[in-house]
Parts: sequence; structure tokens; C-alpha cells
Amino acid sequence: MSLNITCPICGKRNGYEFRYGGEDRGPRPEEATLTPEAWCRYVHMNRSVAGVQREWWVHRDGCGLWFSIDRDTRINVQVMAPSTDGQEGDR
Amino acid sequence: MNRLHHLKTSKVHPGERRTLRYRGREVAGLEGDTVATALYAGGVRVFSRSLKYHRPRGLYSLDGESGNTLMAVDGVPNVSAEITPLRAGMRVEPQNVKGTPEFDVMGFMDGLSWAMPAGFYYRMFHKPAAIWPRVIPQLRRTAGLGTLKPDFEMPGRFEEVYLKTDVCVIGGGPAGMLAALAAADRGLRVILLESRPWLGGFFEYREHPYADGSSLHDRSADLERQLESRPNLRIMKHAPVVAVYPTLQVTAFQRGADSASFDERYPEIQAQSIVVATGCIERPLLFENNERPGVMQPSCAHRLARTWGILAGERAVFSVGNDLGIEAALDLANLGMGIACVTDVREDGQAPQLLDELSSRSIPFMRGWVPVKAHGCRSVKAVTLSPVNGIRQKKVECDLLAASAGLTPSTGALSLAGARFSYDSLTGFFLPSTLPDGVHAAGRLLGLQDARAIEISGTEAGLRAAGDCGMDVAETLRTLADEQSTLPGPVRNPKLVMGPVKGSKTFLCFDEDTTIKNVSQSMEMGFDVPELIKRFTAAGTGPSQGAVPGHNLALFVGQSHESPDTEPRPTTVRPPLHPIHLATYAGAGHGMSKCTPVHALQAAAGGRMEKVGVWSRARRFSDEKSAHDEILNVRQNVGILDGSTLGKFRIHGPDACKALQRVYVGDMSRIREGRIKYSAMCNEDGCLMDDGVVVKRGENDYFFTSSTARAGSTIEWIRYHTRYDGWDYHLVNLTDAFGVINVSGPNARKVLQKVTDFDLCNESFPFAAYREIEVGGSIPARAMRLGFVGELSYELHVPSSYMESAWMLVEEAGCEYGMKPFGLEAQNVLRMEKGHVIIGSESEQRTTLHDLGMGFLWHRNKPDARTVGAAALIHTEHQEDRLKLVGFKMQPPADRPPKDGSIIVDGVIRGYVCTARLSPALGEVVGMALVDEPLSGIGTEWSIYEDECQGKLLGAVVAPMPFYDPEGLRMKM
Repeated sequence: MSLNITCPICGKRNGYEFRYGGEDRGPRPEEATLTPEAWCRYVHMNRSVAGVQREWWVHRDGCGLWFSIDRDTRINVQVMAPSTDGQEGDR
Repeated sequence: MNRLHHLKTSKVHPGERRTLRYRGREVAGLEGDTVATALYAGGVRVFSRSLKYHRPRGLYSLDGESGNTLMAVDGVPNVSAEITPLRAGMRVEPQNVKGTPEFDVMGFMDGLSWAMPAGFYYRMFHKPAAIWPRVIPQLRRTAGLGTLKPDFEMPGRFEEVYLKTDVCVIGGGPAGMLAALAAADRGLRVILLESRPWLGGFFEYREHPYADGSSLHDRSADLERQLESRPNLRIMKHAPVVAVYPTLQVTAFQRGADSASFDERYPEIQAQSIVVATGCIERPLLFENNERPGVMQPSCAHRLARTWGILAGERAVFSVGNDLGIEAALDLANLGMGIACVTDVREDGQAPQLLDELSSRSIPFMRGWVPVKAHGCRSVKAVTLSPVNGIRQKKVECDLLAASAGLTPSTGALSLAGARFSYDSLTGFFLPSTLPDGVHAAGRLLGLQDARAIEISGTEAGLRAAGDCGMDVAETLRTLADEQSTLPGPVRNPKLVMGPVKGSKTFLCFDEDTTIKNVSQSMEMGFDVPELIKRFTAAGTGPSQGAVPGHNLALFVGQSHESPDTEPRPTTVRPPLHPIHLATYAGAGHGMSKCTPVHALQAAAGGRMEKVGVWSRARRFSDEKSAHDEILNVRQNVGILDGSTLGKFRIHGPDACKALQRVYVGDMSRIREGRIKYSAMCNEDGCLMDDGVVVKRGENDYFFTSSTARAGSTIEWIRYHTRYDGWDYHLVNLTDAFGVINVSGPNARKVLQKVTDFDLCNESFPFAAYREIEVGGSIPARAMRLGFVGELSYELHVPSSYMESAWMLVEEAGCEYGMKPFGLEAQNVLRMEKGHVIIGSESEQRTTLHDLGMGFLWHRNKPDARTVGAAALIHTEHQEDRLKLVGFKMQPPADRPPKDGSIIVDGVIRGYVCTARLSPALGEVVGMALVDEPLSGIGTEWSIYEDECQGKLLGAVVAPMPFYDPEGLRMKM
């Protein structure tokens, strides 16, 4: 499936160079107060939106940086900023 | 068959015979033939039998638009013979026939078509459920395509190429060639993809005059010469497009010429701008038996003669929908084909000079007439013609019926690129209404027919693509627009797609045997829009990717039924546009692996090298599979192992310790200098991912190891789990920078002491210590004293460039003690005797640190570190009903271990054997297994079921681990 990703260091590259790191769920929760349910939500539950989602990628075959992008999951295109209609893709 | 040899347009070489074997007999073709043209020239008319009804099918198209010519070639099923180049010695067999294609025992199925209405499979295949297990295998035998032997290995050389370009032009016809030229002449890098093995599109095979008096064929050849002279223009012929993505990526399936380095190739092209000039295919005309062998597209008959020198019939009826069809009939008449008559679905609009020529040759011309039925069992013998209103009928004898309702644009590539279409009533085409940025369309698919207008539209699109790449093209575009306005625009096409017929044998989709009657049945059952009809009748879902029914389905529904879709719309196009072999996607599959710095020494010492993960490693040093002698030599004497594949890392910087605390379950804040800390990494579920040792080499500066398998992903792992923290640390992967020599066994100290001045005695280098020593007086080595195989053991991390020297020094020192190399097999057994787990072998995805009995590694009092997996380790610590890792011995004692993976049973499955081996040191079988917790107590007896044991269960009993030297005295010797 075709995807291009813009790495903050290396620039726009073929998606094959990157590995997906999941949806952006925010920093790790505090361990002391964490219930099993909250832990499960943080670790396993995806929102799987049809639209723009913020997610993590690593430039595995490049600089090795972890960074987050916004991607429109309906057309599989990285978008510059979250937009509601998702049509303005950065290609 | 005698070929026409004198034609300039011919692609076959008369002197070069190429013979294939078809059903056991030899068929002679010529260099330049496809499999289908060679067979056709050899007299074959019935190429296959259809999917459901076993109707005879013949050569209908030449670009893979129908599945009629799917055959098995050299054992590969479902090969489209019409696009497969002939090679000498090919073995070709028909598919889906019982008997021969001409006399198929299953031919009676056609008479049963009334019993197989639309959606037959969906509606019949449920009640009564009991009969279907018997019926389905029978149906599978009668319906379907080719068969593939499970052990078949795909022959051929496969490649993949990943290209970047400024402009990618899809289609190498006149518009595509000019688009490519226009962009290339602006200095841009251009890739041109053409599905046929040559350029030129619908110019290439025609002797029709071009604007300046030369023929279209000459013009095409001239353009090709121009293209080939451009160094920045890459032409990929015989490369149909497989997919186009909204990111302006184009993928294709390329066949290599005989001289190429590949047979099949998968190019993936990233462009900045795309020009789609895919032209048109013929729009099938709908009438009874419209797929009978002998019915073909007019352009198919025309190209058979012009390109391959084959006159497809002796007495032909042409039923056409545009001037191209009339031109084909006239050209074929000139080449010697008898033309019985030409009918045209159009009442008017024909070019007058074509009509004059027809009358001068006394070929009857019938305006507004169409075929209603083709006669003949296995091939066409006659055709019944009728005016469009069906008021009269006339039967004409013929052996070839060239029939078409005009043209249908090939919109697949454009559609995948994200274009939207609307129905245009002038052209009868689905024309692009909106094109995404960076995508341009040109040529015949816009409805153009005038040669010069097509060329200018190509140049225009090429310039617009250049504009996308930052070129200033506005001025040139204005000039072109002026010229284009003086030329003919899109031309009218017939809307009619069907003669006056009932339609039970009128096929909309050849591949899936879908008739227009099936479509009507589908409509009656409420599947009333093309997208639903497509799914219910399977029209357009066959191997030729919907080329034949493509637009006809939507047009037929739009014209003849009250569909909720008021505007006809094409059904959604999805990749692949063209079938591609999985072997081609898989690519060359080069067998690459990494070699350690002492690979050559290992191999020279008799190492049996195997690919393990990314590495080539020595499995053992003799043919003895159990590595028995290697193991005993370590236990009783001393062995040397190449451990260079271990992951080795440096982490340093102010927050280095925090990062280690995050990923290691142990407490990494209190590592004493000169000591080794053994710890483990878990994933978020508390399952073991990796284990290794950490040493502190200075303030905020650590050296640590990972297992071999994790060497490539450890840095990514640590950075991932600290990605929100903004910590200041640096990670360096030293895996390839250091080699590792492991010397283990009771005599290890004696051997090593000979090559270093450092005092290796227990006092100065105790167990679990880390020292930096020199080997051979000058080679720096990071030395660790580890358990590893449970003997006295030293691990030397040596810079890779010194590895060979250090290895040879140690090896020489070991000579007098009988030191021998040992391999991976010995290492695994030695470590199993000590109860060490191999991740992925003794653990699986659900196995937590607790389950493995390694919970002691977890330091629970560091919540602030928010250690990966700690939350899960808390929650699962006392969880019940888990599989636990335990050691076992055979009871009664057995002389061989159970197979890895054998199942532990107690009425029901209670676990499985992870690893079991005959332990050379203990002289008995020991192993490790994951079992239900209630069965994990020491002394619990089990039964083990082995595959194919025929009810003879093995007995085992849970035994304490480690099996060997449980007090761990030997490694502290």
C-alpha cells in the first residue's frame, strides 16, 4: 500500500523505510494508581478512526527517529495538520 | 497457415520458427508470436471452456481483456495466452475441460444454465446443509480455472525496482509518447509505461494516412525514435500498470525480453506528476452467443493480420460502431480477407471516403444493423443480422464475426489515481469530471479520435505535468490550446450496446459467465445498482479484471432498467488492474546473511554454517546431529564459541540510567562498576522480550548486551518507550563493532591465562565481574565472567578488526588442553541443562516473566521509572490458570526425547513440550515444557502425545531445574 512519510530529519521518504508505532495515546500513565482496565486501555485499545489520526512512526531504515504524524486513514496520506475533511493531503 | 510476410507493421520473423507443444502435438509459431497467435495460426479455435457453463471460448481480444485464452503454460495455470510471448519448447494445456476444448464432456452444463440463475451459489448453497460437503467437491471439479500442484515451484527470474521520477506517463500510444516527449524536453526525468511489448498504441499497426501523408505506423516509429534518443526518458515496455495510488505512486508488472536480466519484474514508481493516456478498448456488442469462437473484436482481427500476419477468417462479417471498424474491414479486404458485409450500429456519421471505398469494393454496408445471434456449435458458421429495431432478420454465412459497439475508455488507472467520472452523452464515455492534483489525462480516453488532436492533448498533458514539477509552461499551453481549438474535438459514439435479443445466452461478462438475463434476475431480486449486481452476479470479478463488462454493466443497467442510479456510474476500480504473480511481488529473494568476523575461521574448522536470523552461524562442527562430543568437551575440558552475533550497545548521557530503568525490569540504578548486572526486558504485557547483561563503564556510561534476535530492534525499543520523555541520552549499536569469544569449561582459566597478563584468579576476577584486559599484549578486550553454559566461562568482547587475531591466539593457547570449538546446537543443549530459556522457544506470546520462573529479576520498588511491563507484572503475579514453564524428565526413562512441540495430555490438552534433548552430561532425557499451573508441581506425572504416536503415550515427570549443577558451583570454580 502506497504511503509517503516526511521524517523531521530526513524529509519525505517511501513508507517502507518506516515502522508504525501505534496511535498517539499520550505519555505513559502513572504506575502506582493504574487499574488493570486503564492499563489495558492504554496498551491495547485503538480508536481506529476513519479520518485523521495522530500516530507514531520510526524511521527504521534511516535516522532511527521516533516522531508522530497526522495521517488520513481513509486515503492513507500524511496530512500537514489535523483537518476535519481530510482532503488537503500533503503529497 | 501461410502468414502475410510483406507487411511493414509485422512483428513476427518469418525465418525464425518457434515450436510449442499443445496437448501433445507440436504447433509451429514464429519468433514474435504470442502463445495465442501461434495456436491460432496452428488452427486452434477453441482455447478454453467457460467457468460455469463450459461453453467453448476462442480468441476474442489481444490485450488480456477476456479470460478466454487462459491456459496452463509450463505448469503455471491461468496464463493469458494472448499476452504471453511464445518461447520455443513451451508446454501448453487447456484448462477447465474434461476431454478436449473442442469436445468437452462437461459441455452439457450449458444446457443446464436455466438451473443456475444469478446468485446461484448464494441462494442454493445452504439448505440442506448435509449434502454440501459431498456436492461442493464435485462442483469444484466442474467449475473453475486452472489447477496448481501444491509442490509446484515457480520457475523464473524475478526482480523488483523502486524508482523515483518527475513524471510518470502511463500508456505508450501517441498521446503518451508526446506527453513523455514534452516533459522530457523540459529536462525532467520521465518514465513511460506501456503494456504491450512495443510503443505506438493504435497508431502502430495502421497504414492509415497520417496528417503529412505518411502512415500512422511511420509516425509511431518516428516518435519512438525520438523517445529513445532522450537520455532522461526511461521506457518500460511490456509493463502493464497494476495500481496507481493517490500519493502519485505507480506500480506495474513488467515482462523481460529475452535479453533482459529478469523474466518478470515489479516496478514501483514514485512520481511528482502522472499522465494517464491509456486509450480505449473495444466496447463489446451484446447479442446471442456473442462469445462464440470466431467472434472477436474488429481490432483483434485487424491486429492479427497487421502485426502477426494472420488472416483470422476467410469470410468475415464486420459489425462496427465507429470508423476504426470500417477501416479494419477495408484494410483486411485489401489484404485478402473475404468480407461478406459490414454493419454499423450508427445510422450516420461515417467518414464519406470509407463508405466510397466500401462501395467501390462492392462490400454491402448496412447502417443501423446489428448481429442478434451467432450460429455454430464450436465456432461461428453464420450470423443473424437485424436492424436495431429488430423488425427484420437476415442470416449471413461467415467464419469470422468482428463485432464491437465502438470504444470504451480504459479508465482504470485514472480512477485509481483518484479521478471522478461522469457520463458524457455525446461520446457515450465515462469522462473524468475532476482530476486530483498532479494527475493528467490525455488522448483517446477523453473521446478524441483525430490523430493530431490526440497528439496535442498528449503534449498538453506532458506540459501540465512539467508545470507540476515547477516548470513555467503557461505560454506554450496557450499556443497549444489555440491549435487544439482548430481540430476536431471528442467524437460521438454509439450509445447502444445491445441488439434486439432476449439475452439468456448474451454474455456481459465472459470470465464469470454472466448473461444479461442474470443481470435482469438480479434486478428483480432487488440488487438494482451496478455495484450490487456486480457482487451478486460476479460480473467483472474474473481474472481479466472486468475489462469486458467494465462499463457495459453500468450502461446496460442505465438504459434498460429502472435503477435507483439515475446517472450511469462505473463500478469501483481496485488494484490490481492487471494480474501479477505472487512470485513477482516476492522478488529475487537473495539469500543474504551477515558473517561474523571469524566466519572464515569457523568454516575452516569444519563449522556447519546455517542461516539463523540475519546471521550465518556454525550449528555444529561435525556431522553428529546431537553435537555430543562438543558438549562433553565443554563440560569436562574447555570449548570456544563465536558469540559475535550477540547484540552489543553503548548508552551514555545524563539520562542514560533513566532509560535503562524504563526498559529493564531490574534496578539499574545500583550497578557497581566492575560488576555485571543480568536483567530482562519485558513488553507491556509483562512477557519476556530479551535478556542480557549491563555493565557500568563510567558515570552515565553503560555497555550492555541483548540476545542475537533483538540486536536490530533494541535501540528502536528503548527510544520508543522513552519517546514522550525528552531525555538526554545517546545510544550506539556496537553489535558489528565488537566480536565475542566465549571460552567455557573447567580449563577455561588455564587457556586464557596463557594469552593475557591480567590475573584471572577468583580473587582478581571473580564470578559476575567485568574487567578490561589485554589479549596477546595489545588487543583490548572487555571481559565478562558469566554463567552462560554453567561452567567456568569468560566472554571477551574484542573490536571486530582484532577478532581474527584474538581468536587465533586463544585457539593456539587451547591446543595443549584439547580445546575445541562448539556451535549453536551444543550451546543450546548446554544452556538447557542449566534451565536457561530461549525466548520464543521456551516462551510464547502469553508467557510472562512470572510464568518462566524469572520473576525474581523484577524489581518492584521503582514505580517512578514507569518500567515497561511493570503494570502487567503486578497484575499477573498471582493470576491463576496460566501456563508455567517447568523442567521434566522421562518416566519411565526413555532413550530418546519427545519431539519438540509434543502435547501434554490429561484427558484434555494441558500444555506442550518446548524443548527436549538427551543430555550428554546427565545421560538422560531432560526438557522444558509449558503446562497448566496445577500440573507444574515437582513430581507431577504427565502423559505426552506425539504426532503419529498411534495412541502410544510417553510418560514424564516434573523435575527441578537447573538439571545440571543445581547449586551453580562449577561456574564459580
